[in-house]
Amino acid sequence: MSGRLLVDWTRCDGHGLCAALAPDHVQLDEWGFPVVDPDLPEREARRLAQACPVLALRVDPTRSGTAPAR
Amino acid sequence: MTTVLDPLTDQTAPPVLRWRADTLLAGVDGPGAVPLAEHVRRHGPARPDAATTLQSDLERVGLLGRGGAAFPVATKLAALARGRDVRVVVNGSEGEPASWKDRVLMRHVPHLVVDGALVAAAALRTSHVTMAVRDRAAADALRAAVAERDDAAAVRVVDTSVAFVGGEARSLVNVLSGEAPVPGGRRVLPTDAGVDGRPTFLSNVETFAQLGLLSRRGADGHLATGTATEPGTTLVTVHGDVPHRGVLEVPHGMRVAELAGGEDRTVLLGGYHGSWGRAGDLVADRRALRAAGRTWGAGVVAVLPASTCPLGEVARVVRWLAQESAGQCGPCVFGLASLADDAERLAAGRPVDLARLSRRVVRGRGACAHPDGAVGFLASALTAFADDVAVHVHGGCGRPVLGVLPVPTVPLAGAPR
Repeated sequence: MSGRLLVDWTRCDGHGLCAALAPDHVQLDEWGFPVVDPDLPEREARRLAQACPVLALRVDPTRSGTAPAR
Repeated sequence: MTTVLDPLTDQTAPPVLRWRADTLLAGVDGPGAVPLAEHVRRHGPARPDAATTLQSDLERVGLLGRGGAAFPVATKLAALARGRDVRVVVNGSEGEPASWKDRVLMRHVPHLVVDGALVAAAALRTSHVTMAVRDRAAADALRAAVAERDDAAAVRVVDTSVAFVGGEARSLVNVLSGEAPVPGGRRVLPTDAGVDGRPTFLSNVETFAQLGLLSRRGADGHLATGTATEPGTTLVTVHGDVPHRGVLEVPHGMRVAELAGGEDRTVLLGGYHGSWGRAGDLVADRRALRAAGRTWGAGVVAVLPASTCPLGEVARVVRWLAQESAGQCGPCVFGLASLADDAERLAAGRPVDLARLSRRVVRGRGACAHPDGAVGFLASALTAFADDVAVHVHGGCGRPVLGVLPVPTVPLAGAPR
């Protein structure tokens, strides 16, 4: 059910950078919180995880092709 | 069917009954707790090898956790480290207002709960046992039981007055570690890093009562009742227009239709994180219910009488669920409040954007299971009560909201004071 990109909802403040960077894969709900395409490509997931200003995004290590860098 | 306890002393407590089962509640007869001598007479002495065979016993009987998630207890126990750093936590918070079973167990058969905590601690080679309890009478009964025994000196009974999210396992771990009563944002399992960062075996009161039974009568006794997929008995709290209201001990395999009063009854299964639907041929069996897309949850069954407005009942619960959000995840805070607004408008017969409402019914958007549970509750109600929804979009059904579903903090509109 959860996708390749894990959202830490306790951190997410709805800045919306993820949706701006990947509009094809991330939509914002009516309050500005991301709705992430579960089939988001891994490269894209890594890019968004690095861009999030509050570090609320990370790539699911169990669904990543390479060993996770911790 | 025997009524073993009427709520004489505590008007808010439901009756306690046994229905084709007399195991967990064996010896309960009146308002007090079963004393130690009677407890031993009913269940036999503790088996000397109970701790060493606990893992294999659990695998044989396939015991599932009784807090709502129905996780296999054998898997949880096997995942834990062993040694004196390990913590054992009995979750007695029972935060769901529709559930009374854990309070019934703690108040009336506290020795079974203590037995279970002690055998788990012995199997894990630790002596750290904490019982986290909100209900005063339950805490008193557990403390009295601990004082009555010579093997339970290390057991701590802690009063934890925390909200529903505090009943969530990971937020309880945080409370007991001296932190805020909210779950963390990352899904760290208590078995890896629980109370004070130590490996923690945490489960529901009824799970420990089952461990207590195993410690005295072994797996064979457990396998004598219930179904092949789920042996044994369970407690269920039954509300509303049903043949028998109260906390009932029933064998697994009991038909939901019997509890609900007919196959065609629309029944809430699993409580306020559960779902509404037809009783049909469902049975009280956690694995079978999961396969059918339903959940037994913490064992709550409710049927609404025709005299109350179902959408009004549902709206009160959704409002309460929204109020119970820990307030740390945006989609939960805003989403549940909006769902409660929509549910209340629908209940009042005011216009609601049903398409927008269905867009708001989205899962997987919080640090814990709370928003998913709340969303599942409302979404299933909108389907199960579709005829009422159709009436309400044109101005309401005219029935009052009786408050059949217990909600502690949401006032009844227009209720006489």
